[in-house]
Amino acid sequence: MAEKTTKVDEQKQVIYHPDFFKIPEDGGAPYLVASKCRNCGQLWFPNLRACPECWSDAFDDAPMERAGKLYVYTISNVPQPGLKAPLAFGYVDFPNGIRVGAQIDVPPEQMKDIRIGMDLQVEAGVIREDKDGVKTVSYVFRPVAASKGGK
Amino acid sequence: MRDVYIIGVGMTDYYYRKSPMSDVSLGQVAVYNALKDAGIKNKQVQSVYTGEMPGLSGSICFGQQVAITLGMGGVPMMNVESACSSSALAVNLAAKDVAAGVTDISMAVGVQNISAHRTSGTAFSPDLNNPEAMQGLTMPGLYSMRARRYMENFGATSEDIALICVKNRRHAMNNPRSQFHDPLTVEQVVNARSISEPLTLLMSCPNVDAGAAVIVATKEKAMQLGTKLIRILASEVTSGIFTNGFRDMTWMEITARGAKEAYEIAGIGPEDIDMVECHDAFAINEFLYSEAMGFCGHGEGVEFLRSGGSDYGGKVVFSPRGGLLSCGHPTGASGAAQIVEMTWQLRNEAGAMQVPDCKTAMTHVTGGGVYGTNNSVCTINILSS
Repeated sequence: MAEKTTKVDEQKQVIYHPDFFKIPEDGGAPYLVASKCRNCGQLWFPNLRACPECWSDAFDDAPMERAGKLYVYTISNVPQPGLKAPLAFGYVDFPNGIRVGAQIDVPPEQMKDIRIGMDLQVEAGVIREDKDGVKTVSYVFRPVAASKGGK
Repeated sequence: MRDVYIIGVGMTDYYYRKSPMSDVSLGQVAVYNALKDAGIKNKQVQSVYTGEMPGLSGSICFGQQVAITLGMGGVPMMNVESACSSSALAVNLAAKDVAAGVTDISMAVGVQNISAHRTSGTAFSPDLNNPEAMQGLTMPGLYSMRARRYMENFGATSEDIALICVKNRRHAMNNPRSQFHDPLTVEQVVNARSISEPLTLLMSCPNVDAGAAVIVATKEKAMQLGTKLIRILASEVTSGIFTNGFRDMTWMEITARGAKEAYEIAGIGPEDIDMVECHDAFAINEFLYSEAMGFCGHGEGVEFLRSGGSDYGGKVVFSPRGGLLSCGHPTGASGAAQIVEMTWQLRNEAGAMQVPDCKTAMTHVTGGGVYGTNNSVCTINILSS
């Protein structure tokens, strides 16, 4: 995680979809990128082959604000094969009208503090690890006030 | 298009924990029983559609494996998959063959042997092409969020949700094919271990293994065979519509749309339906679906249940066989199994489960999760005696 960035090159890890999840190389905060249809203006996330509404295939990147409000969440105590429980997952509604689902990356003892309507922001975190130890890094949500947290 | 009738149905028990037979045998028992029920021979079936999830079993040409050694080879056989809807789709395709005049008699088969291919203690999820599944979303997790939001919006409680489980278990106690015959209490359901908060183990359908088969035919064939005429009034299939926006997760758009289309095709409304087998994979679903199908208003599901509206003696009996909650969910087989049990109801052959004066009945099964939709698929069949 964040405090281990010096070891990143020694770890086996992949970034899930760097085309719509950007981690700036200058150390800036990570963020999501929506696609705006050049023809009808509709926003989509993640990027799509063509606009489902008007069938235009021309899009512009539309970087998203990092913080949004939690619409709903669950804490999975029986996870997918290969993932560890408890695992918190939620849908966050962003100011641009896009809803994104991702892990809520807080330690298990803080999961009881998750609330509908709370402010969460996009961070980078490990979302899964395969049986060979390869970590997948992608977007996760953490509370705005405690964004240094995480499992 | 020609009218289509159900002339034969057959199935296995819903085997919990461990099927006593292989995947292929589950299918063959169901097919054999359905042919016997119809009073026809293997070679009279002119096309076979099989719903099974190879993503769970790893099967290849599964329907042919079931039917060819039963001497049914030489006719078109196709295997269809859309998660829990798989064999409901198979029924739709078989019915289309008859309706279009391609065949006079066609068969749909549904099979899933989950216990042979899945380890316990993990949850089903959409496949990893789905970015939300990559993030760890499971199917119990998705429905748990619908439950939490429903509770937030409408003030429903865990105890309200548990009442669905208690009702459907009471129904299953009369179903000889279910292996869940002990009554449940609200307290047991609420205090069962958590699967995905706020849903507990007993609010989630068990994984079971089963096979089911449905034979459809023209009216002429049905009359020749002397079976009680059970007509398919509507066989409606639709798919999810993608959106990234702020969808209301308590409103099951795909089911509402599918039900509306099915009612229009059948020329009836929810007030004409005597019983429903709905996709109650999780207990919250019966509230969501009774509302989306128009049996009560949005947010009125709890009151509809508590007033007895969805039970024997009410407006419509939801899940008289016990539903997925108390029969279990043999995913690929469930759509056909619902139709088998609904046919017995319409023939007045449902024994202790019989819905009095059951004339018109509906099955509903959705399937899968594609991010940005309610579900990937929704299949609704309306039958009438």
